[in-house]
Amino acid sequence: MKRFRHLLVLLFALALVAAACGDDTAETTTTAATTTTAAATTTTAATTTTAGEPEEKTLIIGTTDQIASLDGADAYAVHDWELLKNIGEGLIHWEPGSGDNLVPGVATDLGAFSEDGLSYTISLLPGLVFGDGTPLTAQTYADQINNRLLVLEGPNGVGPALGQPYVESVEALDDVTIKFNLTGTWAFFPQLLAGAPYIPTNPTQFGAELNLFPEAPVYGNGPWYIESYTQGEQAVLLPNELYHGERPALDRVIIRYFGDPQTMALAVESGEIDVAWRILGPELISQLEGVDGLTVETIPAGPIRYLILSHTLAPTDDPNVRKAIASLVDRDELTDRVFGGTTTPLYSQVPPGFLGATEVFDDLYGSPNIDAAVGFLAASGYTPDNPLELSLAYPPEHYGAETADIFEVLKEQLEASGAINVTLIAQEWSTYIGAVIGGADYPVSFLGWFYDYPDPDNYLSPFISNGGLGTMVTDPDTGEVTAGLDPRLTTLLLEAAATSDPAQRIALYEELQQVYAEEVVTVPLLIIAEHIVYRDGVAGSADFPSMETLNIGPTVEFNYFTLDVTG
Amino acid sequence: MHPLLLTFLIIGVPAGIGLVYIFVRGTSSMRRYIVTRIALTLPMVLILATLVFFVLRILPGDPVTSALGPKGSPEVKEQLRENLGLSDPILIQYGRFLGNIVTFDFGESLVGAHRPVSDELGERLPATIELILPATVLALLIGILFGTWAAARRKRASDYGFRLYSVVIYAMPIFWLGLLLQLLFGKVLGWAPIAGRIDAIVGTTLDRTTNFIVIDSIISGNWTALGSALHHMILPTLTLGLVLSGVFVRLTRINVIETLQEDYVTAANARGIRKHAVTYRYALKNAMIPVITLIGLQVAILLAGAVLTETVFSWPGMGRYLVERISSRDFTAVQSTITMFAIFVAMISLAVDIIYSLLDPRVRY
Amino acid sequence: MALDTKVPMGEPEAMRWASELEDVGFVRRILMARKWYHADWWFVTISAVMVVGFIVLALVPQVFASFSPQEQVGPRYLAPGESPDVEALIAPVDSGFSTVGDLAVGERISVAVVMGEPSSEAVRDESDRVNAAFKEQGIDAQVSLRIERYETLDAALTGILDGDVAVAISSSKAFEELAENYPTLNDVGPVAPGVNTRSFPLGTNQLGQDVLSRLIWGTRIALIIGFSSSLVSLFIGVPLGLFAGFTGGKIDRALTVLMDSLYAFPGLILAIAITAVLGPSIFNVIVAIAVLYIPTYFRIVRGQTLSVKESLYVEAARSLGAKARVILSRYVYPNVIPSVAIIFSVNVADAILTGAGLSFLGLGLPPTTPDWGIDLARGQETIQTAWWLITFPGVAVMLVVLAFTMMGEGLMEIFNPKLRER
Repeated sequence: MKRFRHLLVLLFALALVAAACGDDTAETTTTAATTTTAAATTTTAATTTTAGEPEEKTLIIGTTDQIASLDGADAYAVHDWELLKNIGEGLIHWEPGSGDNLVPGVATDLGAFSEDGLSYTISLLPGLVFGDGTPLTAQTYADQINNRLLVLEGPNGVGPALGQPYVESVEALDDVTIKFNLTGTWAFFPQLLAGAPYIPTNPTQFGAELNLFPEAPVYGNGPWYIESYTQGEQAVLLPNELYHGERPALDRVIIRYFGDPQTMALAVESGEIDVAWRILGPELISQLEGVDGLTVETIPAGPIRYLILSHTLAPTDDPNVRKAIASLVDRDELTDRVFGGTTTPLYSQVPPGFLGATEVFDDLYGSPNIDAAVGFLAASGYTPDNPLELSLAYPPEHYGAETADIFEVLKEQLEASGAINVTLIAQEWSTYIGAVIGGADYPVSFLGWFYDYPDPDNYLSPFISNGGLGTMVTDPDTGEVTAGLDPRLTTLLLEAAATSDPAQRIALYEELQQVYAEEVVTVPLLIIAEHIVYRDGVAGSADFPSMETLNIGPTVEFNYFTLDVTG
Repeated sequence: MHPLLLTFLIIGVPAGIGLVYIFVRGTSSMRRYIVTRIALTLPMVLILATLVFFVLRILPGDPVTSALGPKGSPEVKEQLRENLGLSDPILIQYGRFLGNIVTFDFGESLVGAHRPVSDELGERLPATIELILPATVLALLIGILFGTWAAARRKRASDYGFRLYSVVIYAMPIFWLGLLLQLLFGKVLGWAPIAGRIDAIVGTTLDRTTNFIVIDSIISGNWTALGSALHHMILPTLTLGLVLSGVFVRLTRINVIETLQEDYVTAANARGIRKHAVTYRYALKNAMIPVITLIGLQVAILLAGAVLTETVFSWPGMGRYLVERISSRDFTAVQSTITMFAIFVAMISLAVDIIYSLLDPRVRY
Repeated sequence: MALDTKVPMGEPEAMRWASELEDVGFVRRILMARKWYHADWWFVTISAVMVVGFIVLALVPQVFASFSPQEQVGPRYLAPGESPDVEALIAPVDSGFSTVGDLAVGERISVAVVMGEPSSEAVRDESDRVNAAFKEQGIDAQVSLRIERYETLDAALTGILDGDVAVAISSSKAFEELAENYPTLNDVGPVAPGVNTRSFPLGTNQLGQDVLSRLIWGTRIALIIGFSSSLVSLFIGVPLGLFAGFTGGKIDRALTVLMDSLYAFPGLILAIAITAVLGPSIFNVIVAIAVLYIPTYFRIVRGQTLSVKESLYVEAARSLGAKARVILSRYVYPNVIPSVAIIFSVNVADAILTGAGLSFLGLGLPPTTPDWGIDLARGQETIQTAWWLITFPGVAVMLVVLAFTMMGEGLMEIFNPKLRER
């Protein structure tokens, strides 16, 4: 027994010694009160060396996202697109920080549609090369789109989703001129072209086959290249020496991948990382707001949340029931009670900042309006003595644990009318999403959406066309508008997609949103505003809009080249 | 490192030594028993794997729908499902699955980066083992110590104290204990980190060959990494170890009490040997035998507790992997993980049985 | 208590003692048992009292809980015993606004609130109340608010000066600290005069629900899961065990192998798999957990049946021609019951733990159920700022599990002859 005890003590002592020798510099788990002192001593990043030596400015960005694919012909996730947009530059792209200003990238200008709208021609700047010296010509680009985006079908599926349906083929008219032959008249094609799938990619690394995880270094034609990356750990970006534009202010960008937001929040508090971006929940955001040395900014854009109402299942096939629901939802209460004020109420399926966006649901229903709701319900025979039995379905984990809270509150809001009895159905994501899209199970369900291309068409068409993700306002096979609903839903949609005149499109989309709200295709609820947290010393560029949010605007694109660190 | 290889190494080596010993020195009936056990293990694992395979396929939902969600038309989803081999007839998929197991391939994950599952398991299994092993050692130390003390001081205050401890610690939900330790030592006192296996920055300096962070850091002489890894292990190990110790305290106490009532103990007492020596030198050894074999059964509790501990401390182990992949319908990963669990459990119980038969001369076959 | 048989007792004395024992009532016998079993008696009694207490809580939670578990009773994240701040209306000095009712200016009016504060809810609740009062009194005016959210109070107050919003709502205390920077702005009074604010003994959660009420209502779910799954396991495992033990042969061996493999497999993993297949509902949780404990009942009952079967008196009975049914009911049954009772008690405890573990992982129960495991899972997000959300539900689980385990433990000490002092 005695020997035993001695052994114990020895082991324990060894462990303590090892732990003590270990990680005292990089590791801090102190509480917020002592963060300022800790941060001062643990300047691992964003520091400059003493005068006389060349300064190396490094920025460390933390995220809980993961790299799912670095191949532009396959990648479909927000973080993949972010990397692609930093190591590559599209022919045209959004001005950093803006939501509605398209500017040329590696093209000479924004390009133009042909007369009939079925093709789009644009010219490249001369003498472009990728980061490893491979030249970028019109032919290179045409080959890339024709042989990769329009043909390859990767596991993440962006090619079949954003390439094939819109582009027939691409021709190189000469060394610099590119002509897109479209499958139809798509007025939003420039917005599509500004997206990640259409960014030029290096043929030496992305050839005939898909290459989801190319060997580092990964060169594009943008301001950065990926020097190295390890899944789940970090990615290191360095400036691309052969970039045609200005060299970025930073010398190095490290993206650190975290398994969970709490650890990331601790890391930004302690100074281990400089920026925390995607995805901190509302609790962590409010926690970090009070911390000295950190700035928390809200970006007025992000994924939206809405209710899908089935127009073919009872009881939501009854327009009165749909209007009653639209009159009872209290978006402010959802924002305050469930999200602590960190979300934004959404009054139209097209979020603010997009072309032609209105607040039609507020104008039309002014919810919460219990009297109006009672009226609608009574018109269909639902009273406190004969209440409406309504079930609401939702996925408890996929959109965050707050989803359950949203529905607890929604249940109260709907039952406040006195004439509705709500049953909540929680269903696991994989089962749920198939059932929602199938349209045969849930009269009311809950989904989120983030744009494929920042255009009102992408916020309306998915919920109208081909069954509308369960709204069933059109037939999933024929595309015809369901009997009894306003046929303008499809006609206006097609017209606005084909018209290139912005003023005309605005008018069309305003009318479409009005019809949309009258038929209550969906009930838009909230925008889950994105938040960015950064330490003092990190700044965006004053040359572009939204400097306080590090030049991240309504398109939620994070351009690292606008960033700088001071001191 | 391939997870099966790992399992075989860790459990197989000591069990193999025991096996050889039995075959050389044991009776023919013992040999027959061992061979029968090994022969039974295989079909058991196979049946379990088959069950898991089919149950998963019955589940509504699939990895493509789960990953794309509302994005992508039905045609796109159908195409992607075909590319992943999910539209093939179910028997062909089953055949592929069996083939994978036999060649130790385990297939590719159906979600995210589509990495080979054996790579992912090869990273996760060592993490779980690095959690379970120190926790078991801690639990045994505490359990045997407290249990013996309790038995020696039967019916006195300290006996009830230890019994209360074992019952209270067992009654605490393991994830609650983890949360409390996180709160107390992690946030309030700041003595230990509350998530992950190793500090993020330090972790990038480490060469991972075996994926046992402790071993890797010793091999490469990376003492910062070793310190960080041990530092991160403190709270999760404490959580799992304390909860498990409750079980061991009880078991040890009961076994020691029973042993102390055996005739040879009475004889030893009568001969005038001091109580201290009697308890620790004579009784304890014999009492330990059933306790150690019961470790084998506690593997079930260990793995269950590991899932919860891993969730609380964001420990990237096999338990958490399983829970994540079930929700994203990653069939390949889930069926491979559960098969791995089954093999793991089967091997440990076989190993424990072999050791038991070696230790306890009373065991006859 | 050992009777020393070597010293003869006087006949009348012995008989008197024996007859006295028979006359003693049930309660008296329990109290006398205290002398025999000492502290184990305390173990069992205290835990029995606790168990009864929890069962009462589970049967009639509404008697003990002041609020319904889903009701919003106060602001979010209120600490135990903390009184919420008074929300006040901040308006320019010359605006003429002094109550929320004054904001009925005939059109939409913009009001500034700070993100994360209960100000927005306070002003909206009050405007609802005021509007209802106006309607009742037949006054035509209505308050129509447009909520503008700002990140800090400074930004909100600047918003008034810039003309973006007409007034701001904030806690009196917070405004006091900044008041000197904004001389033209005034705290004109509480948003909701006459409404009493109260504190809550265990605080509120992320939806403003009373933690104590949720704890009490959670007892019901926990005990339902615990008892139902244990009963199901019992009614399947015990008969199977009796059957296997009594019949023997190939059936027995097949069943044993099946049960052993089930027993050895990590229970939680199995439960996770089952609930993932079946989906979130309380019924599925009960089924999943029940499956886990069938082997326990099976093994113990089978073992007991086997040993009873081999005993002399059963052999004797059989040789006398007693039928299987009689042997089972007269000899096996009574021997099995004490063990089953112990297992049941410990089983309920374990089932509650497993159920809590499943809810913690987000599996099994619909997340709007007032359940301790779910509350603990949500509490983890705010472990740093709202410590009370993980502390109290955990204590609740621990106490319930403790009660049942202690009862089982104590019963085992009492029933197990080997553990008695000689």
